[in-house]
Amino acid sequence: MSFDFEGKTYETDDDGYLINLDEWNEGVAGYIAEQEGVEMTEAHWEVVNFLRNYYQEYNIAPAIKILIKEMKKMFGPEKGNSAYLYDLYPAGPALQACKIAGLPKPTGCV
Amino acid sequence: MAETAAEQEEVLTDLEIVTGAKEPKPKIGDVKAPELTGSIKVPKIQPGAAAGYKPYPAAPEYMEGMDFPTTLVDNWEKEAVNKLGELLKKYKSLQDYMDICVRCGSCTDKCQFFLGSKDPKNMPVARADLLRKVYKKYFTTEGKLLGKIAGAERFDLELLGEWFSYFHQCSQCRRCSVFCPYGIDTAEISMAAREIMDHIGVGQKYVNSIIIKLHEIGNNLGMNPKALKATLESTEEDIEEEDGVPVKLPVDQVGADILMVTPSADFFASPHVESLIGYAKVFHQAGISWTFSSTASEAGNFGMFIGNYSHMQRAASRIRKAIEEIRPKRLIVGECGHAWRIAYSFWNTLIGPLDQSLGLDPKYPRPQHICEFTLDLVKRGAIKLDKSANDEFVPTFHDSCNVARGSRMGDSPGGQFDIPRELIKASCNRYVDMEQETIMEKTFCCGGGGGLLTDEILDVRLQGAMPRMQAYQNIKDSHGANFFALICAICKAQFTKVFPKYGMPMIEVGGVHQLVGRAIELGAKE
Amino acid sequence: MSGLTIFFVIYAYVAILFFIAGFLYRIWKYASTPAPLKIPQTPAPVAAPGVARRMVAEVTLFKSLFNGNKIIWLFGYVFHLGLLVALLKHYRFAFDYSPSWLVYLTTFELYAGLIMLGGLMMLFLLRLVVDRTNFITVMTDYILLVLLIGIAGTGLLLKHFYRTDVTSVKEFVLGLVSFNPQEMPADAFFIIHITLVFLLLIYFPFSKLMHSGGIFFSPTRNQVDNARDKRLVTPWAAAPESIQIASNMTQEEG
Repeated sequence: MSFDFEGKTYETDDDGYLINLDEWNEGVAGYIAEQEGVEMTEAHWEVVNFLRNYYQEYNIAPAIKILIKEMKKMFGPEKGNSAYLYDLYPAGPALQACKIAGLPKPTGCV
Repeated sequence: MAETAAEQEEVLTDLEIVTGAKEPKPKIGDVKAPELTGSIKVPKIQPGAAAGYKPYPAAPEYMEGMDFPTTLVDNWEKEAVNKLGELLKKYKSLQDYMDICVRCGSCTDKCQFFLGSKDPKNMPVARADLLRKVYKKYFTTEGKLLGKIAGAERFDLELLGEWFSYFHQCSQCRRCSVFCPYGIDTAEISMAAREIMDHIGVGQKYVNSIIIKLHEIGNNLGMNPKALKATLESTEEDIEEEDGVPVKLPVDQVGADILMVTPSADFFASPHVESLIGYAKVFHQAGISWTFSSTASEAGNFGMFIGNYSHMQRAASRIRKAIEEIRPKRLIVGECGHAWRIAYSFWNTLIGPLDQSLGLDPKYPRPQHICEFTLDLVKRGAIKLDKSANDEFVPTFHDSCNVARGSRMGDSPGGQFDIPRELIKASCNRYVDMEQETIMEKTFCCGGGGGLLTDEILDVRLQGAMPRMQAYQNIKDSHGANFFALICAICKAQFTKVFPKYGMPMIEVGGVHQLVGRAIELGAKE
Repeated sequence: MSGLTIFFVIYAYVAILFFIAGFLYRIWKYASTPAPLKIPQTPAPVAAPGVARRMVAEVTLFKSLFNGNKIIWLFGYVFHLGLLVALLKHYRFAFDYSPSWLVYLTTFELYAGLIMLGGLMMLFLLRLVVDRTNFITVMTDYILLVLLIGIAGTGLLLKHFYRTDVTSVKEFVLGLVSFNPQEMPADAFFIIHITLVFLLLIYFPFSKLMHSGGIFFSPTRNQVDNARDKRLVTPWAAAPESIQIASNMTQEEG
């Protein structure tokens, strides 16, 4: 599968996750977010950037608890919880946040 | 200039036809759960209702990595028949079950995927007949002489397409086998069918890609040792912050008494991780040295789902290697349904003997389920549980299919039902069971087992979950149940996904050791 | 000897040969195919005597079918029960001496025959009217039921309604058993009865009727639940000496 954005073709997996992480940029992230019906705010970008940084170091998306702990650091204790995460990304961090961040879809028994 | 519609139309390959690869998949947000009607009713059949639900086929790289053909082979009919012939010689179950079904009908209303989808080809006997047709045609005198009159059919593309649909709508939960007068186990038949499909180049993406990750990286998630260690360290911090006690989650500690093997989802996902914390607190408080292995960081083994003995054995041999390296005295398995079936029933065969030759202590069951281990500590008074910590919960226990019907805990038959329940009751003041017809050996599958836990067939998963959700709704209504206790990573992932679709709070899904972890009294023992 | 007798003597021996050879061949196949893994459907007995009890409950009471579907159980059970009595009472055709309990049993033979016939007809009806059962039925399921109904029906007719000369039937059967063929009675119902019986015997080993022997080889039911204590190893599924563990798993990464 693939999609076109600003004259460039992006290869994706069956679920629309980017195959090539290096092709990611904020423009294409915004485009994927639009398709997902997510309006990107500062908070959304912070989550996405954390996911990307984590992935670059560990080659896998962070565990949800790690993400939430990081959100606690970023946004303060009242927003460092899974409810706020689902406010940002209603379909869930794995389905939406990873997709917008250009990470592969986490699979397994998750 | 203008191209005609016919010219523009893409020509589909046989593989694409069989797997429905070019058919649009439903958007996850749009997929709806069947309505709960108040009781689990046997529907009137609706032929073809679920024919269109097909998982993604495995891309060539996922087939190559498994040593399967990368696409549908040219002489696939012949190859499939050859493979079936080989399996008939290797598996008594398959040979016996192909012959002896009398189509009495006892199983026809027992499968959750039939009850949820109304599609008669999801009735266990009809599902098995998809393979039996081929068996009769090519392997029996009856089928060769009488053909369709005896239910024999040529293996053509259309039938292969039905295989791809309906053998991926079986979670291999064995519920049908309980009610079969001969114990015919559709799981054995669906495993054989998937093995045959893989060998002619028709694989399923979800399962195959995960087996490759397990072989290459060490677990289903693809979490490398560095990420694993970082994640466990972070969890240690969380526990210390929460409880003020330095509970450790050790990795690769050579010489530890216990090697703990758990599904990798426990490291990563919620609510799975809450059970992981529970195990760690139990080990901590019992004062027994224990460790995970970064090379055997997965209890799950999807090789079983595709009926492939060598991949299953290869995946299991990571555990043996870890035992040889760490030299533990005991081997304990975390909350994972199919993993426990494989560990309990198959490990001794696959990677055994699990005995003194590997340094394991014969005093203890090898392997031992974490629930067996923890309940034993509770009974001996080695750990104390404060039930009032869980007073907000009215838990009920969902028997996971592979544990209920494919394994045991404890010394006597049925221990797999009693031990988790006893453990919940030791951790909570309240406990209720769902309807008798839906628990213990008659338990319904979550709807996501056997390699179905993938979003493109969310319809199938929601339909399969229907009977269980109905039973849970009923116990909520009658007894106020509000905690759905599980001992399976697939169940946990499946239910967190389907609960909201059925209008139930995701937060009610949790693990048995999540309850234990909340109730356990940490600190000095008197 | 009449042409009719010669034909039926040959037919009978061929049918019995087919039945015995075919049945034994299929059983040999089930017995000799390995079961590589422990797959008892749990909760399962943890020792052999328990497995024997489980099997007895299945074979004599159809326990799992009872748990699965009471209606199918009822009709299936009375059919098999009637069949059992019918088979037992045929003993006296083949042997000179009959034990007294068998003679006693024959006092119920009419009822047994009737419930057998009734059970079969109800099983046929279920296949027609229940949508699920109708969907899974193939033609041979009906054919077998018709065959059995024909056998039971003619058996009842020639025994209780249009009485055949029992003595000449017995002489004929004893003749067959002792390989000393005797003239067969030229009775229409008797001829139809044994024609169908021998047809069934020929078809038996090729058909789903092999459930009668195959049930004993079902691994989900005949295995002992002792996987942790006793290692099961079959030749093809033995653990290889060493299995390749993927090489890009390195501790250095961590």
